[in-house]
Amino acid sequence: MFLKIAIKNIVAYKRRSIVTVALTCFTTALLVFASAFWDGSHNKMIESAVEIYPGYLQITQKDFRKIPSYDNLIFDARSVRNALTKISGIDTFGERFESFVLFSSREKAVGGMFTGIEPEKEERLSRLKKSLKKGEYLSPGDHAKLYIGTELAKRLKVDVGDVLSFVGTGADYSFAADNVTVKGIFQTGLFDFDASAAFVSKSYFDYIMAAQNYATHFIVLPEKPQDVEDLAATISRKLGSEYQALSWQKTMAGLVQAMKVDSIFGYITLSIIFIVIFFVIMIYTLLAVFARVREIGILRAVGTTPSQILRLLVLESVLLGLVSVVAGGLIGGALAYYFQLHPIVFPGYEEQFKQYGLAASAMPAIFSLSTIVRDMIVMFVLTVLSTLYPILKVNGYRPIEAIRHV
Amino acid sequence: MKIKHSVLMLLCLLLSVGHGFAADTNAIIKRVEDNLNGKTAFMKFTMMVKTKRSERTMKMDSYSIGKEKSFIKITYPKKDKGITFLKIDNSMWQYVPRIEKTIKIPASMMLQNWMGSDFTNDDLVRESSISDDYEQRVVGENETEYEIELRPQEDAPVVWGRIIMAVSKKYFLPTVVKYFDEDDVLMRILSYQDVKKFGQRFYPTHWVMDPKTFDKAGHRTTVNINEAVFDEEIDGAYFTKRALKRFSK
Repeated sequence: MFLKIAIKNIVAYKRRSIVTVALTCFTTALLVFASAFWDGSHNKMIESAVEIYPGYLQITQKDFRKIPSYDNLIFDARSVRNALTKISGIDTFGERFESFVLFSSREKAVGGMFTGIEPEKEERLSRLKKSLKKGEYLSPGDHAKLYIGTELAKRLKVDVGDVLSFVGTGADYSFAADNVTVKGIFQTGLFDFDASAAFVSKSYFDYIMAAQNYATHFIVLPEKPQDVEDLAATISRKLGSEYQALSWQKTMAGLVQAMKVDSIFGYITLSIIFIVIFFVIMIYTLLAVFARVREIGILRAVGTTPSQILRLLVLESVLLGLVSVVAGGLIGGALAYYFQLHPIVFPGYEEQFKQYGLAASAMPAIFSLSTIVRDMIVMFVLTVLSTLYPILKVNGYRPIEAIRHV
Repeated sequence: MKIKHSVLMLLCLLLSVGHGFAADTNAIIKRVEDNLNGKTAFMKFTMMVKTKRSERTMKMDSYSIGKEKSFIKITYPKKDKGITFLKIDNSMWQYVPRIEKTIKIPASMMLQNWMGSDFTNDDLVRESSISDDYEQRVVGENETEYEIELRPQEDAPVVWGRIIMAVSKKYFLPTVVKYFDEDDVLMRILSYQDVKKFGQRFYPTHWVMDPKTFDKAGHRTTVNINEAVFDEEIDGAYFTKRALKRFSK
C-alpha cells in the first residue's frame, strides 16, 4: 500500500526524482571510482617501490639499520639461511652484500653502489632481471661480470662488453679492486637507483671483497605479501635478538606515510564535494516537499497520521536513494573494473613520478567489492539523511495550516 | 758537538718562549707546518688499522716536497704491494697494479676512508692546508703547549667546523688535534707522539687516530714512522702521473 503510493509519487514528481537520482548516482559513482583509483594507485606505487629492489622483508644484523658499517654485517649467513629454510610462509629468500666503491672507466671515475646478489634468487625477489635493457642478466657463476644501471653506465660512458674497474674496501677493510666486464645494463626507472647501482654475482663478490659467509642483508619474499608483518615477527623470533627482520611497512615508512597523507587529502577534497551535494539534495527535497504541503495537509485532514506520512515520505527517499546508489555503484564499479584492466597512463608525469621514486606511470584502479559496497552504504545513508530535515519540517504543520499553505 | 747542539736548542727555546705572548699565531702554524712537511721528506712508515673485528698492518714509503706534492707506495702486505698514490696540490690519483689503471679520485670520494683506515682521502690531500683554509687563534697556553683554535675561512672547502690543536712549544709540532663537525661535536682525535730526531729535524714518530663517531666505535689507526730523511734532494720524477705506474714495481 505505502510502496504503491510512494512509487506513484516518485513518478508523479519527475523533476525532483530525476535530479535526486542523477546527483546521488553521480556522487556515488565518483566516490566508488575515486576510492578504487586511490587504493589501486597507492598499491601500485608501493608495489613497484617495494618490488624493484628493496623487497617485502629485510633481515639485517640488529644494528645495521642504525649504523650501516662493516662492523654490523651478518657474519654467519649460513646459519641465517638454515634458519630461514625451516620457516614456513616464505616463497624465496636471498642474500645481498652492498658496498660503496669507486667505479672507473677510461673516461671517468664515479662513486656508486657495488652489490653482490644471488642472480637466480633475485629473479623472484626483485625486478632487476625484468629491468634488463641491453645485454644479459647475471648468472650465478659469473666471474667479474657486471650488471649496471643505465644512468651509471652513461656517466661512465661504458656499454655492454666494455671493461671498467672498481676500487673499494673489502669486508675485512682491506683494499679491493678488479676489472669487470659489463654483461648487462638495466633500467628500473628509478633515476637515483639507475645512476648509482651495479651488481655482480655473490660468489664473485665474496671472492674479491673477502666476504665469504657475510651479507649486509637478506631479502625475503613472503608467500602471501599481505601477511608480511606476521612473517617478519616470526622470523625475528626464530632468528633471535642478534638479527632484525623488518617488513616494507617499516623499511619504507616514509612512502607508506606519503600514501596515507595522499589518501587523506583525497578524502578531504571528496567530502567538500559531498557537503555541497548533500545540501543540493536537501534543498531539492525541501522544495519538492513544500510543493506538496497542501497535498500532505489533505492527507492529514482525511485521517492519515503524521507517522504514516513520515513513513511514506521516508520510503520515497529510500527508494530514490536505493535506485541511485545502486546505479552509481554499478557505474563506479564498472569504471573501476575497466581501469583495473586498462591502467590510466600519465605520459607527461613520468619525470614527476621519478622524483618521488616511483617507476610506474600507469596507474590501475582496484576493483574491490567490499570497498564499493562500503561507499554505496555511505552514500545511501547520506542521501536519506539529507531528506530527513525537510520531511520532518513539513510533517510539523497542522492540517489546516498545511492546506492553506501557499 | 752534543753540547753545542743543546745550547742551540736552549737558545731556540728561550727565543720562542720570549716571543710566546706576542707570537703571531699564523707564524706558529707556519712553523708547525714547516716542521711537519719539511722542504722534502722521505719516510717509511707502518700503518695499523684496528677495527672491532680485525687488525691489519700495512707498510708504505712516502716521498714529498713541501706540502704540495707527495707520492706514496704500499710495500706490504703482498696483496696490496705496488698500489701507489700521487697527490699534487688538491688532486689525488691512485694506481692499482691489479687493474693496471690510474684513477683520479673524484671530489665525491674525498671523504671515503683511505686504504680502510680512519684517515680519509681528504686528510691526505688537505691535511696540510691549515694555514690557508683556517683562521687561527691562540685560545690557551701553558708551560709546554699552545692551544690553537682553527675555524674555517668563510668559503674554504673544508669539512671541519672547528679544530683544536695543541702545539708543543719545545718542538713546534702538534701533539693533540681535535676535530669537530659543524655542530661542534667531537668527531676524532689525532695525537702525535714520540718525537725523535732525524738529521736536523724533530718529528713525531707515533701517530694515533681515534675516531669518536658512534659508527666507528672500537676503531683506531696507528702510524709509526720507521725511517725518515728530510731535506734531501728527491727525484722530481716521483711527482708525475707516469710515476704512479713506473714506481709501482
